[in-house]
Amino acid sequence: MGPTAALAATALSILRYAQGNTMVPSGKIKQPEINAAITEVVRLMTPDVVHIRFNIDRDWSGDWAIFFRVLLSDEAGKRGLPEVANQVRWQLSERLDFDSMGLFAYYNFRTVSEQEALREESWA
Amino acid sequence: MPFADDLLEVAHDLAHKEAAKQAGLRRAVSTAYYALFHLLIEEAVSKWAIERQRSILARTFEHGKMKGICDGVLKDVKSGAPLPPELNTVADAFIQLQQHRQTADYDNSKQWSTGDVVNVLDLATRAFAAWRAISAQDAAQDYLLQLFLPKMPRQ
Repeated sequence: MGPTAALAATALSILRYAQGNTMVPSGKIKQPEINAAITEVVRLMTPDVVHIRFNIDRDWSGDWAIFFRVLLSDEAGKRGLPEVANQVRWQLSERLDFDSMGLFAYYNFRTVSEQEALREESWA
Repeated sequence: MPFADDLLEVAHDLAHKEAAKQAGLRRAVSTAYYALFHLLIEEAVSKWAIERQRSILARTFEHGKMKGICDGVLKDVKSGAPLPPELNTVADAFIQLQQHRQTADYDNSKQWSTGDVVNVLDLATRAFAAWRAISAQDAAQDYLLQLFLPKMPRQ
């Protein structure tokens, strides 16, 4: 999935969120704000962070959540993935008020070579 | 070694022994969550004086309620409540691990990478260390009580 398809998938998940949600006003989700934060974090953390994808959906308990998929360089993975992962989490939570959006934030991480092996579209 | 520590060790073993297999990675993720889950439960029920009743009490803890209490901790910290940062680490890790566990156990469409699992294990390991650093403090003991009680009385 290329950047355009990824954007379309994100827009679709936002739409599904807005249509299906009755507890949290869809106006609380600020997609441009989320995209801007992601762009900034990727810029700050390049080359460790290659890109960040996300979708919004309910979590296991039915609460609304944002699921981040963070693709890291192989070098970052070798140096210490948890440290880079913690930095990404911190940088995103500094820029996005998930509470006010009514979202839990969940994070998944993998490296470029892992993605090349697994070839999951949602990570591309 | 306490059961919770055993579980965490098993999670690490599974991740390293079965790195190439999805089944091993999934079991590692699920076990990491249960390690933290049982750490907190063991700590809570250990306060109960009648030892033979502790296993009964341990079965009354609910995953959903525990998530809600952890979310409350994160909100309190964010609003400036004087809570130790380690409690924030534990609560945050609990919520993350719980979701990862659900995905690992039930979502077969998700492919786990070693990187993902390393991060999950790191969350659990940090949560263990954070908990042990503060477990004797009032804030930690109050947190355990909240996990256990059906409803906290008004202060």
